[in-house]
Amino acid sequence: MSRAMTKRVHKALTDENLQTALTRLLGLIKFVRQIAFAGLDFDSLSHEIRRIKENSIANLPQLVEQFKLQATKAGAVVYEAEDAEDAVKYVLKLAQERKVKYIVKSKSMLGEEIELREHLHKAGIGVTETDIGEWIVQLAGERPAHLVGPAIHKTIEQVAELISKATGRELGTDPQALLDAARRALRQTYIDADMGISGANIAIAETGTLVVVTNEGNGCMATTLPPVYVAVVGYEKIVSSWRDAAAIFRLLSRCTAGMKMPVYVSHITGPSRTDAIPGAVLRGAGGPGEVHIVLVDNGRWQMRESDEFREALYCIKCGTCLNVCPVFASVAGQVYGYVYQGGIGAILTAFLHDVDKAEEVASLCLGCMACKEACPTRIDIPRMITRLRASLAEEKGLPWLNRMVYRSILKHQPRLDKVIRIGSYLQQPFVDADLMIRRLPGPLNTLTQAISLPALARSPLRDMLKDYSSPRLTDKSRVAFYSGCVANYAYPEIGGYVMKVLAKCGAQPYYPTGQACCGAPAYFAGDVDTALSLAKTNIAALEEMKPDYIVTVCPGCAAMLQREYLNLTTAEPRWNQRARVLAGRIRDFSQLLLELTPSMPKKPSRNQKVTYHDPCHLKRGTGVFNEPRQLLQREGFEVIEMADSDACCGFGGHVVLSYPELSKSILKRKLDNIEATGVETVITNCLPCVLQLRGGLDKRHSRIKVMHSAELLASTFEITQ
Amino acid sequence: MCAQVAGLVEQFEAEASRAGAVVYEASSAEDACNYILKLAQERDVKTAVKSKSRVADEVKVKKHLEKAGIEVKETDLKEWIGQLAGEKLTGRETMWQVEKLISKATGKKLDPDPRVLLNAANGAIKQYCIDADMGISEADVAIAETGTLVIVGNEGVTRLVAVLPRIHVTIVNCQNVVPIMEDVIAALKSLRGNIAGQVMPVYVTYITGRNTTADIPGAVLARSQGPAEEHIILMKAAKRGSA
Repeated sequence: MSRAMTKRVHKALTDENLQTALTRLLGLIKFVRQIAFAGLDFDSLSHEIRRIKENSIANLPQLVEQFKLQATKAGAVVYEAEDAEDAVKYVLKLAQERKVKYIVKSKSMLGEEIELREHLHKAGIGVTETDIGEWIVQLAGERPAHLVGPAIHKTIEQVAELISKATGRELGTDPQALLDAARRALRQTYIDADMGISGANIAIAETGTLVVVTNEGNGCMATTLPPVYVAVVGYEKIVSSWRDAAAIFRLLSRCTAGMKMPVYVSHITGPSRTDAIPGAVLRGAGGPGEVHIVLVDNGRWQMRESDEFREALYCIKCGTCLNVCPVFASVAGQVYGYVYQGGIGAILTAFLHDVDKAEEVASLCLGCMACKEACPTRIDIPRMITRLRASLAEEKGLPWLNRMVYRSILKHQPRLDKVIRIGSYLQQPFVDADLMIRRLPGPLNTLTQAISLPALARSPLRDMLKDYSSPRLTDKSRVAFYSGCVANYAYPEIGGYVMKVLAKCGAQPYYPTGQACCGAPAYFAGDVDTALSLAKTNIAALEEMKPDYIVTVCPGCAAMLQREYLNLTTAEPRWNQRARVLAGRIRDFSQLLLELTPSMPKKPSRNQKVTYHDPCHLKRGTGVFNEPRQLLQREGFEVIEMADSDACCGFGGHVVLSYPELSKSILKRKLDNIEATGVETVITNCLPCVLQLRGGLDKRHSRIKVMHSAELLASTFEITQ
Repeated sequence: MCAQVAGLVEQFEAEASRAGAVVYEASSAEDACNYILKLAQERDVKTAVKSKSRVADEVKVKKHLEKAGIEVKETDLKEWIGQLAGEKLTGRETMWQVEKLISKATGKKLDPDPRVLLNAANGAIKQYCIDADMGISEADVAIAETGTLVIVGNEGVTRLVAVLPRIHVTIVNCQNVVPIMEDVIAALKSLRGNIAGQVMPVYVTYITGRNTTADIPGAVLARSQGPAEEHIILMKAAKRGSA
């Protein structure tokens, strides 16, 4: 979190034009995407692309040699630039040697990365962006707000003013007239330019070919009309063959804009040529006579060396991760403060630009995994963000307050209990009669800005369940209950319901008292030591009575127990083995109930409608999607689906603490979708989600109730406290 | 036309139309010419530029348009020089003959230096493309999967003809429609006309439908920076395919 970032987030959230345009654009992309993918098997296609990118990056040294050889044979000049400065220097020198005064540029992320335009400007060379959206953003002196719609944050009036100023003619706000004026103005720039610059979406080694994709046609003109053409290309863009390239665009445009194919795909192999004039084959026939390809490293080879971050090079820059990101949907791209946006942006920024900036970008991540699920090359962005935070914490150390909290409190369960108990006394003046906290004193009040908070329980779940500390010796299934902190300190009653419902269903539930915080807060902040220590505490506590199952009510904790403990213990094989056994026993509440009572008949309809919110870590983390619905239906409830049931509620990551205003905006969409179903009860199998949804609905004075499945089922099983 | 080709053509038509192109199946050379002429007249076309196209030459598009008073400029350098000479080039022309033709066309006395001649020709031909109302191309390959045209050439003007004029017409031989994108490379390898030593033609341009933009707030508008209309003429009757 940084003050500058908080400011930018606030600005974006309060920019009405941006908000309206963004909602419309993302809705449109989602809609056309469905059409574009109709009849295609996304899974097998994305596996294919993943394989292509894995092979390309693995064989990169050979592919680079082949590309250089073929491109040079075709007459292009290939230059390998070590870093941004080197690349800029090459282009600048070339421009000066050719006495270039004016350049047209087609969209290039790498161009932005190395700040090519700015450097050329400084040397007195004019540069015009030729994508209309980019041009508008350039005229405004800003950064693009969105990959597909760089200028979506601008109103028609603002665009009219910018284009009027650029063309020196007073233009009205008729979109068609503005487009005509823009086309005419840009058309002239291609004719006047001495040099054209573009990026490349793909570079093909077998023929030394560059592939440039545009929808507007600007790419064709910028690469053809000026006499010198320069392409700046990241090494990771190189693939082996035309077939590989074809497989990539089959997904690229569908992901980017919901189109089956971009309008223009240019394959360029060397400079134009002709043998029409007797005497010789000449270059520069109706197109550039010189083609320069600048292959840029700038941190990419280092990324390739890293086992943890290599997969960021598989990114095909389609923007899907942004289009599905709840944070991006709230604030768009300008808040990130650098070229690469969203989750993948944090990783790319760290390697290609500046680690401090990357930290800022990463701080916006909810960890909701929507990007991972939708990525056409299956990049595990959330995992890399966690690793990035860990290595930053290692390098720079955590802020003292966090370190103190993680190492001195979180790590020692009795101390945490004590702190919470003190908190439960201190909170008293602010707790309303219904046990909600709606305002807090001083700076703490930001915590209650987006949601009302539940009061801390007077005594934690651990104390309530003292009698359940060990299972009796019966032949019933033994179920250890891992509660997590939210159940323990905020909703102990829900923990009670879990135990009772399980007992009613014939299991033998018990509460291992040695359990502690799962360690996720420390782990995701980068404090691996604390996380590992807590992992060992929990592994030991949860294996003690050899349970058949371990039931959880917080999918975030479950994911930690199930996946991250394995990652944390890789260096210690014996702990790793114990973590593996633990992982196999973890179940979500609904999942377990169905497993324990597979033959229970469907109950008659209760004439009660409920809707179900999918917690990120349950659906995308462990693939539990149908089970909670099945269980509700079996118990006689009618499940009404809300729109985007699996979109994050806004509680994830540290966003709820660091950027409450942002969390509120994400929550708003969720609550709107819940209210649109018209139901009176929303069910979710995640207690942090319960906290967030209850708190948000309370702020709205809504009557809609939020319950964990266990709580609802307790009522149907006639269980009381 | 065999059933397999017919299926591909049908798929190509559906996809290209969906992407915003206007597709016309021409039953004969005359039919194709009439379609282009009618289109040109309806859209008030005064000048057209043409890429090298065997199919267009076979069906005599240029003659047809010229007869109706529409000026048609060849943009392929060899074809253009031929047009200046008033006859197909034999390949045995000397530089001096070419120098005379280009000097006359550009109204400047040029040195008989290949570079000078090429620069002058480039200037003239690019200007034709900038001024023209209609561009006429041939696609050597078309992709059924996506309704995509594949236009191939070594000269940059093959692309300028396709993007600069406000109307773009592409002639495709039905036999050259391939099922999917992965088939393009094999089709390209079998094309003739590469200059010695070349592995791949310099420009292979895929065009799918009509260009649009959503960059001006308010609506998705047709015609971004390329042509306002994309017309595709599928030559049904043509017997000879290049692939």
